[in-house]
Amino acid sequence: MDSSESPTETKKTKSKTPRKNKETVLKQKSPAEFFAENKNIAGFDNPGKSLYTTVRELVENSLDSAESISELPVVEITIEEINKSKFNSMIGLIDCERVDAELYDDYETEKAREKRLAKEARAQEIQAKNAALGKKVKETPASKGIRGRGEASFYSYMQGDNGKGMPHDDIPNMFGRVLSGTKYGLKQTRGKFGLGAKMALIWSKMSTGLPIEISSSMRNQSYMSFCRLDIDIHKNIPHVHVNEKRENKERWHGAEIQVVIEGNWTTYRSKILHYMRQMAVITPYAQFLFKFVSDAPEKNVTIRFSRRTDVMPPVPLETKHHPSSVDLLLIKRLIAETSKQNLLQFLQHEFVNISKSHAERLIGEMGPDFSPKMALKSLTPQQLVRIHQLFRQAKFDDPNGHCLSPAGEYNLRLGIIKELQPDMVATYSGSAQVFEGHPFIVEAGVSIGGKNVKQGLNIFRFANRIPLLFEQGADVVTRTALKRINWSSYKINQLQDKIGIFVSIVSTKIPFKGTGKEYIGDDITEIASAVKYSIQQCCVQLKSKIVKKMQAREQQERKRNLNKYIPDATGAVYNVLKDMAETQLHASKKFRYGDDDGELLRKVSENLITKETLSEKLAKHVEQVDYEMALEYATQSGVSEEPRETIYIQPLETENKIIDLHSPFFVFRMFH
Amino acid sequence: MAESSKKRRRTNTDDLPFKNKLKPDSAILQTLKDFSTSFSSSSSSSKTLTLQDLSLPFSCREVSDLSLSSVQSNIESLVLRIAHSILSGNGFAFDVPSRAATNQFYVPELDRIVLKDKSSLRPFANISTVRKSAITARILQLVHQLCNKGIHVTKRDLFYTDVKLFQDQIQSDMVLDDVSCMLGCTRSSLNVVAAEKGVVVGRLIFSDNGDMIDCTKMGMGGKAIPPNIDRVGDMQSDALFILLVEKDAAYMRLAEDRFYNRFPCIIVTAKGQPDVATRLFLKKMKMELKLPVLALVDSDPYGLKILSVYGCGSKNMSYDSANLTTPDIKWLGVRPSDLDKYKIPEQCRLPMTEQDIKTGKDMLEEDFVKKNPGWVEELTLMVKTKQKAEIQALSTFGFQYLSEVYLPLKLQQKDWL
Repeated sequence: MDSSESPTETKKTKSKTPRKNKETVLKQKSPAEFFAENKNIAGFDNPGKSLYTTVRELVENSLDSAESISELPVVEITIEEINKSKFNSMIGLIDCERVDAELYDDYETEKAREKRLAKEARAQEIQAKNAALGKKVKETPASKGIRGRGEASFYSYMQGDNGKGMPHDDIPNMFGRVLSGTKYGLKQTRGKFGLGAKMALIWSKMSTGLPIEISSSMRNQSYMSFCRLDIDIHKNIPHVHVNEKRENKERWHGAEIQVVIEGNWTTYRSKILHYMRQMAVITPYAQFLFKFVSDAPEKNVTIRFSRRTDVMPPVPLETKHHPSSVDLLLIKRLIAETSKQNLLQFLQHEFVNISKSHAERLIGEMGPDFSPKMALKSLTPQQLVRIHQLFRQAKFDDPNGHCLSPAGEYNLRLGIIKELQPDMVATYSGSAQVFEGHPFIVEAGVSIGGKNVKQGLNIFRFANRIPLLFEQGADVVTRTALKRINWSSYKINQLQDKIGIFVSIVSTKIPFKGTGKEYIGDDITEIASAVKYSIQQCCVQLKSKIVKKMQAREQQERKRNLNKYIPDATGAVYNVLKDMAETQLHASKKFRYGDDDGELLRKVSENLITKETLSEKLAKHVEQVDYEMALEYATQSGVSEEPRETIYIQPLETENKIIDLHSPFFVFRMFH
Repeated sequence: MAESSKKRRRTNTDDLPFKNKLKPDSAILQTLKDFSTSFSSSSSSSKTLTLQDLSLPFSCREVSDLSLSSVQSNIESLVLRIAHSILSGNGFAFDVPSRAATNQFYVPELDRIVLKDKSSLRPFANISTVRKSAITARILQLVHQLCNKGIHVTKRDLFYTDVKLFQDQIQSDMVLDDVSCMLGCTRSSLNVVAAEKGVVVGRLIFSDNGDMIDCTKMGMGGKAIPPNIDRVGDMQSDALFILLVEKDAAYMRLAEDRFYNRFPCIIVTAKGQPDVATRLFLKKMKMELKLPVLALVDSDPYGLKILSVYGCGSKNMSYDSANLTTPDIKWLGVRPSDLDKYKIPEQCRLPMTEQDIKTGKDMLEEDFVKKNPGWVEELTLMVKTKQKAEIQALSTFGFQYLSEVYLPLKLQQKDWL
C-alpha cells in the first residue's frame, strides 16, 4: 500500500510546481515602489537613520539651491517632537484608552513588577548607604518607561532657506516623482540621483501618512507658491492636494518645507549634530540655525552655526564628457542628443580635450569607413564600437579641474578653526587629478588640539562638500590616515595628540562604494595617493611648527629637568667623598692625595662641605647654563616669542556707534 | 658497561643514513689525536699578538684587569676632580669613551674587534645628557662602595639599589659598561657580575673558589660556569677538543649521550648569545689547555653571529675584546652546505625571512667573515638558497642522529672551516 501511494504523491507535487510557475504574472514596479521597498539604498534603514537622512538630503538641497544663484546660504531647521496624542489629533484620530492591558506587548506581569520593585528598592538602599557614608551620590538615571513596539516617535521637520526657489509648475514633480531631477548633468553636485526629497516624502507617507507642505518663491517673483502634496507610490506620480499662488509682499525667495515623519531623535541626536557641525566646517560661508523642540524643555537644542566668511566657492560648471570616461551607451545617447550633424563636429564639440585637428587625426585612425563629414545618423553599431575602442586606447590630455568647485583652502581652514578651535592647523589644496577620465581635487587639513576633540585620529570626510559620517572604516581617507602615514616622523603622536584630519574630495563623479553614498573605496590608486600626498603636505607644514613648539617647551622645562637630577648626582659624589674622608681619618693616609684634595676631604670630614653645598653650586651652574641657552635661543628665534596681546577686530556687520568730541586742537572719538 | 650500551644503541641505529660511511671510533680518535697535537704544537709556537705589537694608524682603547684598590683609587680621583669642578661653579662632565659602531674597528691581525679612542663629553648641564651623567655618578658611587667592602653583586642587584633613578636595567647595564670603559678596567674588576648562564660538561676538572669540580660527574645538566672568572683555576683535561654548542637542546642531547666519553671533549654552551662569563671561561680553557675549539651552531645568520661574538667579540664589549675573544674557532656545523650533503628533508628547512636575508647580506660585508673564504662561501650559499635550518633539523633522522652519526662523521672527515 505504502509503496503504491508514494509515487502518486510525488507525481502530484511534481505537477503542482510547474502549474504554480505558470500562474506567475509579469509585474511592473514603479521606481517609487522600488525605493519604498528598498529604503535602505537611499539611507532610510530605520526611523532614526531616516530622520538623519531627511535632514541631510534637504540641507544639501538648500545649499545647492542657494549656491546656484550665488547667494550666501541661510538655512534654518526645526525638528519638533510630536507626542502621540498630538499626532493623533493631527491626523484626526481620537485617543483610545487601553482597556485590555494584557493585550499589549509592554504589559508588566505580576512577577516582573515584583522583580522590578525589588531591584529599585535595592538600588535605593545602596544609595542611602552611600549618602550616609558621605560619598558622592550618583544620580540614578530616571527609570525609563518601557517602550513597546507600537510607541513610535514622530517629528515635524521644518526647513527654510534663501535659495533659488522652484518654478511654480515644477514643484509637484520635484517632490512627487522619484528619479526626476535637475542635477543629472555632468558636474559636481551634492545630490545626484534625484532621490533625497522624494524619499523623505515616501517615508512620511509610509510612517505617518501626512502630506508634505512646500512654500517657495523665486527671485523677483511677485507671488509665492504653496503646495501640499503626497505621492502615489504605485504610479510614481505626485498627488497634489493644494497648489496655489499666494501673495509675496516681501519679495522673499527660497523654499520652506514641512514634513512629518517617524524618527528616533534619542539615538541619532549625536549623528545629526555631528553632521551639522561638519557641514559648518566645510561651508563656513553658510549660516545654519538648528533647533530641536520637544515637550521636555531640558531636551531642547538650539545651535547656531554662524557665517564666518563671505567668500563662496564658484558655482560648479557643467562640463562635457572626457573621451576616456564614456561607454558605448553614453556615446549613443550623446549622438541622439547632439545638435551637431557630422562626426567631426560631434567629436570636437561634445567632448573635452579634443581639438579640431585632433578630431581629424582620430577620424583618420578609425579606419577607411570613417570620414570627418559623415553624418552621425549613418553610423552603424559596429562603427560606434570602433569609436569606443579608439577612445579607450588613444591618449588624451587629462581634463582640467576648471569645472570643479572645491571648498578652497581658505574656507576649509576657516571652517576648521571656527568649529574646532585647534592649537595648530595646516591645510593643503592639491591640483586637479584624474581617474577614469573624471577630474578630482583633494583638499586636506590637519589640526592638532582643539575643543571637543578626542585623543588620537579624528577623521572628517567630505565628498563634493558634504560630510560623510557612516562606514568610516573602509574609507580611503581612514585607511590612508591609519596605515600609510607615519605620524611619528612628523613629531605627531598618533595615540596621544588630538589630531583632526579633514579631507575633502570633489569630482564630477565620486566613486562611492556600497549602496548608501557613505564612503569612498580604497581601491582607486589615483585617489588614494592624492589623499596621502595631501595629508603629508599638511603634516610637513605642521612639523616645523611642532618642532618650534617643542623647542620652546624645552626652553621652559630645561631648568626643571636639569634640577631634577641634582640630588642624585651630588648625593653620589658626596657619598664617595664622605667614604674617602672617613677612610683617610682611620688609615691616616694623608699623603695619598694632593694638597687640594686633602683640603677638600678635610672640609668634608669637618662638615664644611656637605651635600647641600655641592647641590647649591651645581644649581647655580645649571642656572647660568640655562640663562646662556635661553639667550642663545632668543637670538636665534628672534623676537617672535614676545608676549602676545589679544587683539579684537570689530565685527563686519554692526555699524560703529561713535561719539566725536571736537575741540579746536583734537578730536576725541569714543566707541561704544 | 659502556661497551654493551654502545652495542645496544648501534643495533638500533644501523639504518641511519650515512652510518655506513663511519669508520670505527678508534680510527676517528686517531685523526682527532693527530689534529689535537698538531694544533697544540702550532699554537704554542706562535706567540699571541697584542695591540702594542701592531703599529696601527690610530690609537686604541683597551682595558685590563685591575685590582680592587686601583679601581677604587681611579674612582676616587675621578670623583675628586668632579667635586672640585662643582665647587668652582663649573658643573661637571664625564669623558666617556664612545662605544658606537663608528668607533669600532676590526683588526685582522688580531682577529677581533677593537675600540678606537674617540670619546664624548657627558656634561651634567645639558638636557640630553643630564640623565646619563647622573646615572654615571650613581654607578660610580655604588662601585666604589663595592670596592670598599670587597664583595660581588649581580647587575640585577645593582639595578635594584636605585630603581627610581635607573628606571630600567638596560640603562644601568649600559652605564656600567661605560664606567668600566672610562676607568680602563674590565667589567669583572668592578665586582659586578651577570647571573650564571653558561654550562660546561665533559672531560674537565677545575677549581671553583677552592672546590675541585669534575665536569664528568656533574650529572646531565653539567656545571654552571661561574660568573667571576677569578674564582676559577687549576684546569686539567684529557680532552682532544672543545665543542661549543649554540643551543641548550643540542647540548642536552650530547650530555645525555655522554658524547664526551666516546670522543674525549669538553662541551660548552651559553644558551644563545654568550655572556661575558662564558666567553672568559672559553678563552681561559683554550689558553690553558691549548685545545682546538669546534662550534656547532644553527645554519642561519644568527648562528654565525654567535660564532663571531665568541671569536671576535661583540661591539658592545669591544673595549675588553682582548680578554673576551677566543680566536681560531672552527665552524663544524650545521653549515648551509650540510643541508644537501646530509639530505635534510625540505620540511625540516625553513625559508629565511626578509630580515634574515638582510642580516646575512650585511654579515657578508663584515671583516671577520671575509677573512675566512670558507665562511664566505657558506654564507653566500645560505643567502642564495634562502634556506635556514636549526641543529634540531638533524633529529629528523632520529633524536640521536646528531651524536651517533653527524658529529662522528664530521670529525672523521675533519669537516670544519
